[in-house]
Amino acid sequence: MTTKLTQNTNKIKTVVTALARNQWFFVLVVLIVVSVFTHSMNPRFFRLTNILNVLERISVLGIVAAGATILIVSGNFDISVGANLGLSACVMAILIRMGYSSEVAVALGILSAIGANLVVGASSVLFRAPSFITSLACISVFQGTALAITGAQFQTIYGRFEVLGATRLFGVIPLVFIVCLVVYVAVFVMLYYTLLGRRVHAIGSNPKAAYLAGINVNANKLIFFAINGLLVGIAAALFLSRVGSASATTGQGMEIRAIGSAVIGGAVMTGGKGSVLGTFLGALLMGVIGNSLNLLRVSPYFQDVSFGVVLLLALGVTSFSHAKERRGTTG
Amino acid sequence: MGEPSTTPSPLLQVHGVSKRFGQTEALNDVSLTLHGGEVLCIVGENGAGKSTLIKVLSGAIAPDAGSVQVGEAVYESLTPAEAMELGLATIYQEVELIDSLTVAANIFLGQEPTQRIPFLVDARVQNARAREILDTLHIDINERLLVEQLSAAQKQTLQIVKALHQESSILIMDEPTSSLGLEETRALMGLVRRLRERNLGIIYISHHLEEVFEIGDTVMILKDGRHVGTYPCGEVNSDFVVRKMVGRDASAFFSREPAPIGDVAFRADSVTWNGIVRDVSFDVRKGEVFGIGGLVGSGRSELASILYGAARPDTGRIVLGNRELSLRSPADAIEQGVCLVTEDRHVYGMFPERSIQENVAVVHNEFTPCRVVGTRSEAALADSMIDKLRIATFGRGQSIMNLSGGNQQKVMIARWLLDEYRLYIFDEPTKGVDVGAKQEIYALIVDAARNGKCVIMISSDMPELLSMSDRIGVMREGRMVRVFDNDSDLNEQELIRYFMGEEENNGDHEAHTEHQ
Ligand SMILES: Nc1ncnc2c1ncn2[C@@H]1O[C@H](COP(=O)(O)OP(=O)(O)OP(=O)(O)O)[C@@H](O)[C@H]1O
Ligand SMILES: [Mg+2]
Repeated sequence: MTTKLTQNTNKIKTVVTALARNQWFFVLVVLIVVSVFTHSMNPRFFRLTNILNVLERISVLGIVAAGATILIVSGNFDISVGANLGLSACVMAILIRMGYSSEVAVALGILSAIGANLVVGASSVLFRAPSFITSLACISVFQGTALAITGAQFQTIYGRFEVLGATRLFGVIPLVFIVCLVVYVAVFVMLYYTLLGRRVHAIGSNPKAAYLAGINVNANKLIFFAINGLLVGIAAALFLSRVGSASATTGQGMEIRAIGSAVIGGAVMTGGKGSVLGTFLGALLMGVIGNSLNLLRVSPYFQDVSFGVVLLLALGVTSFSHAKERRGTTG
Repeated sequence: MGEPSTTPSPLLQVHGVSKRFGQTEALNDVSLTLHGGEVLCIVGENGAGKSTLIKVLSGAIAPDAGSVQVGEAVYESLTPAEAMELGLATIYQEVELIDSLTVAANIFLGQEPTQRIPFLVDARVQNARAREILDTLHIDINERLLVEQLSAAQKQTLQIVKALHQESSILIMDEPTSSLGLEETRALMGLVRRLRERNLGIIYISHHLEEVFEIGDTVMILKDGRHVGTYPCGEVNSDFVVRKMVGRDASAFFSREPAPIGDVAFRADSVTWNGIVRDVSFDVRKGEVFGIGGLVGSGRSELASILYGAARPDTGRIVLGNRELSLRSPADAIEQGVCLVTEDRHVYGMFPERSIQENVAVVHNEFTPCRVVGTRSEAALADSMIDKLRIATFGRGQSIMNLSGGNQQKVMIARWLLDEYRLYIFDEPTKGVDVGAKQEIYALIVDAARNGKCVIMISSDMPELLSMSDRIGVMREGRMVRVFDNDSDLNEQELIRYFMGEEENNGDHEAHTEHQ
């Protein structure tokens, strides 16, 4: 009788600890708590239009964060994604203003994003420097280039490229969010069911061992950066289509939010481990908190504060659960 | 905390400690008693719970039940700081020294002598005192060297010195000799003996029973997390210990089946690299196990990495089959049919965050045309290896970091058993592996040989080298100084003399020195 009871509590404990070890679960809980709280204060929250609005707003960040997850899991960092996104959007906008079709403009813009990201990756490989540092150096290169080609002017293209941003599937679901979902499914499949995904994990976990297991570490690193560039390019196109203008400051701060979403979702900064689902929920949490603060009429400046607080909380949870693992579960 | 030197009361007692990780019962009601001046050896199979017990003592993990008693004080669990304060010093495998500081600075880390000017470290006093400490222990390390200049063995010794300097009364060592060569192991044994004379209590974990019988006073046997028994070393023999450990009769010595030996299939010609490998030539025939012995630092592992394409030789030729190999990377080598089980699995082998399945399948995935992974066939491959090598785990999804050391090694070997290769290079294949599993790994090596493959086995374990190899090449200072046919005339002492280069001095007499 008592043994059965302890057995049951033991079982519950193992399930709870197993879930608690998945950080996405924790993020989900916070997400629900914040949503329910906001809804109780302002019932507009759970209206379809509001939900769709949130989803639409997180789509661009979500796509960039998906790329950041790939890089973090592979042991890399790219903090130039914001600048890269800005540059890519500027390229697209300028080409459209020059009269090129939006397809051509987007294609070239995406190519520019991939190229820019390859510069980050290649310099890291070539100089054997951490990509964190090379991407830091690249920020000013990308921003400077964007300033130069735009002449420091806003590039507005109102009404000329709205297909992506304004289309609603069945009249309700924003196309940008669909694109975001497709990206997430693709990245999920890539990370967990393809050889390339295994390489991402192996290289992130122990690059020396990966090399000795016959993996071409450098070539793969470039591939990871190219994929990240592709995602940044796609995000840039969505952004441009939604907003209708671009400038050299477009995308500023995006890198922090993208890496932050990945970390909130459970990506380990030292590489080798991360969760795409977690990143998605992390980006969603950012969106929901921003939306809540709006609905609750809190000053927009607090959005940044709240982002930082959530990030710190997430890091706290990670280190707490790791410490617990190390000390062993007591009781 | 009393005066342990005069009273016979124990230094340390562990009462009924249990610890569970998920489904694994790592420790189940384990107790021990340690007196001053005693060397207590803990033995057991891979995953028996030895390291877990040590982690309880060092404060790295908290037990689920039981207590630790140091002197009179009883603790339910310790923190690392408490353990240190109580005089429990643990020497981990991963060296915890600061590379960029000198030996002396490392010894005094955190308690630097600041004499004349406050806040300024007095390096002269520090060096002089460090010299004193090293001298009293008969340790020949220059106190002014930077730690990064030390060998693995010296670093290990330095950790012990540091622990002693902190006035520890109990020294705990988890497989201290697994990364040491012969000479270093001997030196460590000597040090342990001197420490015992100073009335320290020592807990010593090793898979090498000869070490246990050489320095141990008592031997404690763990099996599947349970305490099987504790015996005075003088009253038991190694067969008895092995039987208690493994639960069945298993000899500590391996007698391998011979494999038919064919033509020469692998040849290295004057391979030279970077002053570390010098003009090495040898060949390996099909079905042959070619052992390579030598001291740590003699260039054996570097030779292995050249043959595996991880380093490019400056000069020299490598021929496999009837083709000369020009390897640009390990990937090249694998494609040509060369594989390598690396010496240090933590640095060069494991993907610590990843599962057993991913760790086993990594090479296979990389070199099969299929780009889809995570399939049922991959899972089946992982499961078959878990069965075949009897890897102690609760599933292929368990992360490799949570396996015991020996089981991690088995995963490293499993990686190369999914496909066939032409040349198998094993660098210290049984590092950290228990007696039972050693036999299994030996059987796998012999299997490869019997299938007509070439095998190169680098080993610092003399019984292993002598019982497994058909021929033994001795490396010294980067050269392959001699290749022996492994017949009954060859013995350990003779080989060791070649390792050290003593044969030149008493060249003619070597056959006569039969006595120890
Ligand atoms: N952090 C952990 N999480 C889950 N299981 C663990 C963890 N640490 C140890 N174990 C398990 O506990 C058991 C005992 O492990 P331990 O490391 O104490 O073995 P050991 O006796 O030191 O073995 P070896 O001789 O191979 O070093 C093993 O089955 C191991 O898989
Ligand atoms: Mg161990």
